[in-house]
Amino acid sequence: MFNKQIHKRIKVVLLIIIICFIVIIGKVFYIQVIDYKKLSNLASNLWSRNLVIGANRGRIITKDNVTVADNLTTVSLVVVPNQIKNKDDVIKDLAKILNVDESKISEHVNKSSSIEIVHPEGRQLSFDIADQINNLNYEGVYLLKEGKRYYPYDTLLSHTIGYAGIDNQGLSGLELKYDEYLTGKSGAIKYFSDAKGNKLDKSSVYEEPTNGMDIYLTIDYDIQSSVERELNNIMDKYDADDAWSIVMDPNNGEILAISSKPDFSPTNYQNYSIETINRNHAIWATYEPGSTFKIITLAASIEEKTVDLLNDTFTDSGSITVDGARIKCWKSGGHGTQTYLQVVQNSCNPGFVSLGNKLGKEKLFKYINDFGFGKKTGIDLNGESSGILFKINNVGPVELATTSFGQGISVSAIQQITAVSATINGGTLYKPYVVKRIVEPNTGEIIKENKPQIVRKVISNETSQTVRMALETVVAYGTGRNAYIEGYRVGGKTGTAQKVNNGIYMSGNYILSFIGFLPADNPQVVVYVAIDNPKGITQYGGTVAAPIAKNIMLDIIDKLKIEKSDYTLEKVYNWYDTKYETIPNVIGQELSEAKKQLKNFTVNYSGSGNIIKSISPSPNTILPVNSTIKVLLGD
Amino acid sequence: MKKIDKHLLIAVIILSLFGLLMIYSSSNIWAEYKFNDPYKYLKSQAIFLILGYIIIYIVSKINYQIYYKYSNIILFICIILLILVLIPGIGSVRNGSRSWFGIGSFGIQPSEFVKLGIIIFTSKYLNNNKIKSIKSSVLPILLIVILLFGLIMLQPDFGTGVILVMTIIAMLFISGVNMSFFIKLGILGLLGIVVLVIIAPYRLERITSFLNPWADPLGSGFQIIQSLYAIGPGGLLGMGLGNSIQKHFYLPEPQTDFIFSIISEELGFAGVLIVATLFVTIIKRGLNISLNQENNFAKYLAFGISFSLAFQTILNLMVVVGLIPVTGVTLPFLSYGGSSLLVSMVSIGILLNISKYNSK
Repeated sequence: MFNKQIHKRIKVVLLIIIICFIVIIGKVFYIQVIDYKKLSNLASNLWSRNLVIGANRGRIITKDNVTVADNLTTVSLVVVPNQIKNKDDVIKDLAKILNVDESKISEHVNKSSSIEIVHPEGRQLSFDIADQINNLNYEGVYLLKEGKRYYPYDTLLSHTIGYAGIDNQGLSGLELKYDEYLTGKSGAIKYFSDAKGNKLDKSSVYEEPTNGMDIYLTIDYDIQSSVERELNNIMDKYDADDAWSIVMDPNNGEILAISSKPDFSPTNYQNYSIETINRNHAIWATYEPGSTFKIITLAASIEEKTVDLLNDTFTDSGSITVDGARIKCWKSGGHGTQTYLQVVQNSCNPGFVSLGNKLGKEKLFKYINDFGFGKKTGIDLNGESSGILFKINNVGPVELATTSFGQGISVSAIQQITAVSATINGGTLYKPYVVKRIVEPNTGEIIKENKPQIVRKVISNETSQTVRMALETVVAYGTGRNAYIEGYRVGGKTGTAQKVNNGIYMSGNYILSFIGFLPADNPQVVVYVAIDNPKGITQYGGTVAAPIAKNIMLDIIDKLKIEKSDYTLEKVYNWYDTKYETIPNVIGQELSEAKKQLKNFTVNYSGSGNIIKSISPSPNTILPVNSTIKVLLGD
Repeated sequence: MKKIDKHLLIAVIILSLFGLLMIYSSSNIWAEYKFNDPYKYLKSQAIFLILGYIIIYIVSKINYQIYYKYSNIILFICIILLILVLIPGIGSVRNGSRSWFGIGSFGIQPSEFVKLGIIIFTSKYLNNNKIKSIKSSVLPILLIVILLFGLIMLQPDFGTGVILVMTIIAMLFISGVNMSFFIKLGILGLLGIVVLVIIAPYRLERITSFLNPWADPLGSGFQIIQSLYAIGPGGLLGMGLGNSIQKHFYLPEPQTDFIFSIISEELGFAGVLIVATLFVTIIKRGLNISLNQENNFAKYLAFGISFSLAFQTILNLMVVVGLIPVTGVTLPFLSYGGSSLLVSMVSIGILLNISKYNSK
């Protein structure tokens, strides 16, 4: 009886013991099987040491394959103090090779950190020195690859490229905007270490770094260089406050060159103010465009057929009174009676006021909006401004009048060149862009590609053609003569805008601009140049900006191998009394009919037959009356 | 008279030889680092193990009745030793506890032997005094246990103290002491804990910190985290014998209290099951021997020895897998340590001797 109770209780104890064991085994099962992944990862983090191998940032390459943001491959010295057996020897030898004090190296070698980067003595070493260290073959002494951003052309394209910081992180410009593509993935030598930092024999994994993606631009290196050179010259020559320029392909919105002065050196970005670095005037600055804006009024008027350029006339007395306000022409005394084509050539403000009145505010502002003013163009660069327009409800006669010739509104350079491109390319507004594609450097796979993007069709092809021809006469016969290039058909428009400060026009302080394009009959490039407050010169766009644009266009002609036109308008020096006619399209017509229509011109016929085969210059070209043209006959 | 329990003997031999192997595997890195001799701990433990086998052989030949006869003297010597070890100059401090008699590089822990002494004494006491009332029967033995516990806590050696107290309580339990006594004892224990927490609330944090060791990964949670980092990556089949990474200085003194972590890491869940099976076999054989005794002294003695081994094993394993806070108890037969192994071997020797008198 007594034993029975003891035995029962012994069995109870046994049962409890077995339950305890089951609980323990259950817990081990939980740790080893259910929690395996989590603990394994944690333990692996504890055990593994990474010697980081830096990846190269992606390169930035121009359209003509010039690398404007590159990498220098350097090596940096890293020591793992616990792996170094003979510290005294290592300290002595490293100090000798690096030519620094032994105590400096001693500090690194005796640090109690697991991996010590020898900074700054051992950063970015030359290959010669790296080789010497490598030959020592010391345990615990590593040379690790480190990429360093390198801008071979220094300030060239600096606002667009931006810069990368000391740790290869993009901090402005494309470097920042496309940082996720440009940044590579670091590699590493991974090994397991014991708790004292010694390398365990078992494992050493090499993970190769992945370089960042290359960015290909629409920028043309030579054209960009030309723009940079010209702007630098003008800044020096006239001590201007700022200057900026854009070159665009009007047929797709690609930016061929873009520059803003003052600029900065991305390698030494620390030496520049944040304003200098961030203010890309070509997209950031907004200002009264002045006369270059008249192209918009002109295009709208032709499209709406509110004016006949060649036959309607306007008499400029030197000023025009709108709603009690007197608006003066830039030419005191005025231009007298002129055709509207001459109004354009003379850049006559009262003439444009009348064009604006003929359109009315609704129509004018519809075109202004349709050409993209008042909102960002969406160019793939940081720091773009939207500009300011009058609100349509606030537009009275005075606002309509000033807007017609480009005052009282605020626009950016990129908006102007984009809009003007649309007026001359057949009427299509494109979204401007500088990044053509992003490419994986090893496989060549295209990760992202920007294609021309049409925003909208604004004016008809015929209107666009007329605008082109009218602007060609501005260069040949009008205010844009300083941009005239022998043998080439150049169109363009000057601009002189007084700067506004706190709502008041500043005296003697202008932004001078010129927008030009060539060839006028089939435009391939548009060039915009603006100079802010040049000193010591007559402040007209035609005298300051046009010659710069001309120099840039000469370089573009070389680079893009633009062929001479077989016929060009002759430069006319005294254009006030010239009468103009458009060459009618008589191709395909019979000789007798053509003769009637070509009566205003002196015609040189060649070939034989009764049918007009071709005309030079091409139909629609505007020429002074009695100019000589060539006609080829056939059957 | 019958033969000794061969199953028990074989299980002990396998487990102790396995322990020797694992002591080498877990200690060689430390031994190399500290003594420039990777075999340092292996050699030392091998000597103790051979000594242990000799002891098993000798003790299994000694009739257990001799302990009955000398139980009072044994206990008296134990108490003297416990007092002597506390005197600086005689007892030496290792790992913060004055628990050792140093003999060269070997150390002897008297508290390990006291465990055996009080089990023998209690067995005789329970054999001689039929439990009549708590006051007259249980209280005297409890007073002796409290005295011993107090002396051990002066060293301090909390783990051994708890094993000792729990073993005696378990012996009282099977002797037929009324359940209400244990309930009261439990309530008393809880009250004690509450009082201790109220006096110094940080103790509660200590107690609960094992639940989330990551709260203090470099302090109280350090050992358990390092243990989990060993057990976890072991997975089902382990990293292979000798391939532990945690033994590379991550887990301090891996050959002692936390040797089970390294076993789990190198041999995985499979190894854990084998070790657990061996332990359960030894404990079950020990309790079977107790069940098979006609003699009550032998019955209590066999139970006390078996329970003490079982409790110590469970205490160690629960610490290692993070079920209870760290107490500092070695794993019988597997952990490195001479006196712990010798006492275990004496215990097994006694069990084997008793097994000769099995009734079935």
